[in-house]
Amino acid sequence: MAESTWRNYIENKHSKPMPLRGIRVLEVCTLVLGPSGPGFLARLGAEVIKCEMPPLGDTLRSLVPFGYFFKDQSTSLIRPNPNKYWVGLDLHTPEGQEVFRELAVKADIIEENLRPGVLESWNVGYRQIKEINPSIIYIAKTGFGQWGQYARENRPSNDGAAQAMSGYSWMSSFPGQQPIKGRLYICDSYGALMGEVAVLAALHYRDRTGKGQYIELSQSESIMRTMSWIWPYQHITGKTAMPAGNRDVSICPADTFRCADDTFLALAAPSPEEFKGLCIAMDRPELADDPRFKDHTTRLQEENAVEILGIIAEWARTKIAEEIEGLAEKHGFAATRVCTIKDVVEDKHFRARGFMTEVDDALLGQFLDYEFPVMMSKTPPRVNWTVRPVGFDNEYVMINTLGKSEEEIEQLYDCRALGKWADVRGRRPPPDWDGKAGLIIARD
Amino acid sequence: MAEPAWADWIRERDDPEIARGQPEALDDITVLDLSYKSFAGCYCSSMLAEFGAEVLRVEPPEGDFIRRCTPYGIRYQGEGLNYLAEGRNKFHITLNLEKPKARELLKGLVSQADVLIETYRPGVMDDWGIGYENLEEINPRLIFASITAYGQFGPMSRSRMPDYDNIIQARSANQYDTGEMLPEGMSYDDCPWAIPTKAGPWIAWANAGTFMAVGILAALHWREMTGEGQALDVASAEAYASLEDWAAIWYQGAGVINERFGNLNTGGWLYCFAPTKDGAVFLGALRLEMWQAFADMMGKWDEWDAANWTDLASFSEREVQLKWARLVFAETRKYTNEELVGMSVEYAKTGRLAPITPVVAPVCSPEEAMHDANWLDRGIFAPVEDPVYGELVIAQAQHKMTETPIRTKWVCRPVGYDNEHIYLKYLSYGPRRLKALKEAGII
Repeated sequence: MAESTWRNYIENKHSKPMPLRGIRVLEVCTLVLGPSGPGFLARLGAEVIKCEMPPLGDTLRSLVPFGYFFKDQSTSLIRPNPNKYWVGLDLHTPEGQEVFRELAVKADIIEENLRPGVLESWNVGYRQIKEINPSIIYIAKTGFGQWGQYARENRPSNDGAAQAMSGYSWMSSFPGQQPIKGRLYICDSYGALMGEVAVLAALHYRDRTGKGQYIELSQSESIMRTMSWIWPYQHITGKTAMPAGNRDVSICPADTFRCADDTFLALAAPSPEEFKGLCIAMDRPELADDPRFKDHTTRLQEENAVEILGIIAEWARTKIAEEIEGLAEKHGFAATRVCTIKDVVEDKHFRARGFMTEVDDALLGQFLDYEFPVMMSKTPPRVNWTVRPVGFDNEYVMINTLGKSEEEIEQLYDCRALGKWADVRGRRPPPDWDGKAGLIIARD
Repeated sequence: MAEPAWADWIRERDDPEIARGQPEALDDITVLDLSYKSFAGCYCSSMLAEFGAEVLRVEPPEGDFIRRCTPYGIRYQGEGLNYLAEGRNKFHITLNLEKPKARELLKGLVSQADVLIETYRPGVMDDWGIGYENLEEINPRLIFASITAYGQFGPMSRSRMPDYDNIIQARSANQYDTGEMLPEGMSYDDCPWAIPTKAGPWIAWANAGTFMAVGILAALHWREMTGEGQALDVASAEAYASLEDWAAIWYQGAGVINERFGNLNTGGWLYCFAPTKDGAVFLGALRLEMWQAFADMMGKWDEWDAANWTDLASFSEREVQLKWARLVFAETRKYTNEELVGMSVEYAKTGRLAPITPVVAPVCSPEEAMHDANWLDRGIFAPVEDPVYGELVIAQAQHKMTETPIRTKWVCRPVGYDNEHIYLKYLSYGPRRLKALKEAGII
């Protein structure tokens, strides 16, 4: 709780430093796995320069739910890409490569998610960059890593491929039914997060020794890392781990139940006090002493688990979710309706904590975004601004970071090393843009 | 002499097989992990222990309840399987924090630690006199990391509800819109599987722990710069909700509440699981040329008029996706998983649009994944010889790194296994004094 530590956290957070202040990150990433990692660092205060291939840039700029663009911007682009500087840089050109190398000399971290060897073919791979900046931390994120059979076959990957090949989807479905692809791009987003654990551990090592390093990350391997009991279970029993729908087979009771109004509710009450509380809430206190349910290990056994979950299901069917939520609070077990996105966006608790945080953006106006979900008492992470068109910050980065003259910049445009957005949705500014808002340097 | 090919060069430097002899990134850091009834906390300290941090895992004398959260109640040599996978590289000690004397011992450890992880309900640590504000006085450099259901502040922070993975999944909106669509004219009674569906693995717990690990490492960097410690606060439902990509914006901009779309993808075409002769494959083609390559690979270039497609956006509407899904699935059903994967690899070499090719990946059971030669070669499932539990397979080596690779030194420890070593090392307690503590119910 530490009440005085957290008092007025959201009122004060914009007048405090961010923890990665002074760290510069170069990004050559597309879709979700790549950009999310630097996106996390940007929320923690790092300066992230996102290099995109002009004029179309990140493929994610095309991806939107059922064709819906938010003020002409890709709805999907927003979450992985806050607080970044946007450069349209063509790495196929020698001049573009030279600009990248100039930036790399001044960078702490480089993140990329192209296929193995592509950046090297553009003369900006790890072997080339470490010659000019030996303390660089360089991470490459792909489906299958940099070596091994699948990497050798140069297979492309997506989040869904990792969900499929890891066994994650298999475990996330109902028995006897088709495996279900999770709606989240979980192997992308979580894989990116896992990558940042390595990047920041490497930063700690660099703080101590001055040494940089190379990190490779596979999104399939990252998600496999989360699948806890499944691997030792298969190794020990020689059996295939099987899916169990919404039931948690390691915690009993823990499942999703259908309520009286055909809405759904998740409930969990495994510890002795919690289970007792649930039995009292169900008006069945005797169940807590029933030999079939007497302790957690006994309850977890298949026939007992099925029995107690059946009893709860029957009870839940006569209640509405709100009533059970109230009983859970009163009796100290866990229950929640299966929330919609509306519930989350409008959640009063999330708003009061500044987790659903108001972005006041020069291009996109006001909207709510997700704050970085680690509140830090002395160095609060935050979203300051959101996505920009391809090449939007070219002038700022060329002048401020690299000290280039107007003439040099002109030449870079002439040889097509630098470029800006194409006039299509997802790439260009919002329709109401005045030609100036959000630009840092060139506003003429 | 020409440089070796990239793949060979990098493998020589980051293959997990050579990790053992390398330096460790966090071997200067001591972590106290007090997590209780929380896999998120255990997972968080694992992330740090893999990088060489000295993690002291503090449990009540009877052991943490999380040890007893194990599939179907199965135990291996007395240990739950989830805990077995997440005790890695940690020293296990006991301490009964209900007792004042135990809290004094804890303070002694805190004065020598860099990070403390805890998962008690907000207020519990403060009531015990070992909250952040108490411990900060003992050790101003301390990073105090709390992972809870609702977080340390805000109107729900005093909630009595505990924090479990399935609850986080439900509360974050990421269960609601995953799952099969209810077929027209059917009810939940007919299709009890066509409902909001959670992920099977403890992803929401793992995710909360991983976010906290990132927070801790960022805080360590800040401490390196300034000498300051601080308090960190993760509410696990927020951590999981924050991975969502477009539904919150869609709702705000258009008022649409995202609903289940089965194995298709509301966020774009082509991106789905497709049925095959012997199972299913994932198909991904998020650029027009990849979707054209898919049509070509299936021999439908002319029939589907792929040459004249102009953009992917025109395939993304709901009804259009459903129509095309029927056409695509009719084709994929003619082949096995292996055939389709092979066709995609081959198309990258010889197809009309090569090297562009669609993503085709088999939907595997975890048994198939565990025996896939590619992953075995990459060291993910390399068996670990544990001094206590013998040979075990757990997922590891998820990062490959050239300087400070992660490694698994041991997988787990029984309750209180390291009391002697740790209390001696940190607090100079020899066997006689330790015995007295044990008899007093303090450790």
